[in-house]
Amino acid sequence: MKPFKHFNAYTVDEATAIIGRYGRRAVIIAGGTDLLGKMKDQVLPTYPEALINIKTIPGLDSIREECGMLQIGALTKLSAVAAHPVVLSKYKALAEAALRTASPQLRNMGTIGGNICQDIRCWYYRTPLNRFSCLRKGGGRCYALKGDNRFHSIFGGSVEKGCMAVHPSDTAPALIALGAQVVTSKRVLKAQDFFQVRLNSTTVLDSDEIVTEIHIPEPEAGTRSAFIKFAQRKSIDFPIVNCAAVLTIDQDRVTGARICLNAVHVVPRRALKAELAITGHAITEEVAEEAAKAAVYDAHPLEHNAYMVQVAKTLVKRTILGCGVG
Amino acid sequence: MKNSDAQSITCPYCSTQSGSFEELREHILADHKGKGLPTPEGRIRLIINGDEHVLHVEPDWTLYHLIHDHLGMTGGKQFCDRGACGSCTVIMDGLPVLSCMVLAIECDGRTIETVEGIAKAEHPLIESYVKHHAMQCGYCTTGFVVASKALLDRNPVPTDQEIREALSGNLCRCGTYPQHVIAVQETAQKLRCEKDKKGV
Repeated sequence: MKPFKHFNAYTVDEATAIIGRYGRRAVIIAGGTDLLGKMKDQVLPTYPEALINIKTIPGLDSIREECGMLQIGALTKLSAVAAHPVVLSKYKALAEAALRTASPQLRNMGTIGGNICQDIRCWYYRTPLNRFSCLRKGGGRCYALKGDNRFHSIFGGSVEKGCMAVHPSDTAPALIALGAQVVTSKRVLKAQDFFQVRLNSTTVLDSDEIVTEIHIPEPEAGTRSAFIKFAQRKSIDFPIVNCAAVLTIDQDRVTGARICLNAVHVVPRRALKAELAITGHAITEEVAEEAAKAAVYDAHPLEHNAYMVQVAKTLVKRTILGCGVG
Repeated sequence: MKNSDAQSITCPYCSTQSGSFEELREHILADHKGKGLPTPEGRIRLIINGDEHVLHVEPDWTLYHLIHDHLGMTGGKQFCDRGACGSCTVIMDGLPVLSCMVLAIECDGRTIETVEGIAKAEHPLIESYVKHHAMQCGYCTTGFVVASKALLDRNPVPTDQEIREALSGNLCRCGTYPQHVIAVQETAQKLRCEKDKKGV
């Protein structure tokens, strides 16, 4: 890696103050498993002048239940989220999503805040030494559009820019389906409003804004959740498609449904049509199949990724059925 | 390259400026009795395999770089250098992590165990790995040994599935995966026997 300055921040204010001094030339580091790879490969045309370590800020790495909310500090390691008894019992989709992220070692390093703030994995974007100056780096075009796009968006690119890179997070769909809120140093955002396609960024965060906590409301009685990830290998790999479903079931009927797919679009994608299709029905094979069809009704895959439509459809069906049992 | 921001250093308890670290130290000892002394940037204290090290590191050094290139512990190997293969695994505060993706400067106060420490302690894993030949070219082996040790520390009675899951972050191009489960199971059994003997 090229040299850079390093600061340990001890409060959120200190971290934002240091960013204030450096502007966009400084980058926040938490687990570092995404950032260091990007720096080693010199993926971006710019290289950070300084890293600001926020792992030294105390109190942001715990999980607690307060005010009818599960409050997860942004610096909580994914392995701690996956193993937490409350998460395992009441927020199964999140526990499963955290458990299926990357590898055991990376889960001991990566944080949940970092997991939702991570950058895209498009292989044109990630080619070392900025070989492809693509839209997301301020360049002229999306190379995946006419290139090898087998892991790219099946629901079109971002509206204004046309970038086809998918969002790779595993915990993001689970958090959106669970109706989570992302608390930052400046505001409180709904998880589904947190993601956005921008230059060098996958979130709506300002350059001096830091995710501090994630709040998940306590699920209503009769709520069940499930998460399924489809990837080439069971471990290490990023998802080809993943899906989280949270269903509230009252007397065998679904009274509330939130289903979210990820890695199929430039941001995590709520399957709203599937939610409508299942609400009011009992969970059966046929209803799940109908909902799954509705989830991908407007998919328009690229040259090499039509298979992802089938995978997405199947995952929606399986997560719905997964909520029905146990 | 020194990583101090400017020539003068600001006292963390008041805004007095000092010209050097030694001056700041004296100022804190005199004016802020009982408060902790700051360490100069880049100085870290680490416990590696039971030995304490106080080191000066540059911000861009990874933990792997420090352990392998500067401390000469060459057991852990670097292969992908991107956190995807597990061959540089070390145990940090009881948990296996990838030393290629951790900045050394962020490891102040941590306890680290490398494969050298496991070998020095004559851990039965080593013997089982040799006996069952859980290696071919051997490049990934130390990463597997460290990940297995971390598992056995946490879980003395692992199932085959738990072993596979714990080692799922380590890649072996020679395909020695089945042997690892056998070697780790045998080690777990040996450790339980040893414990029972001590118990009696």
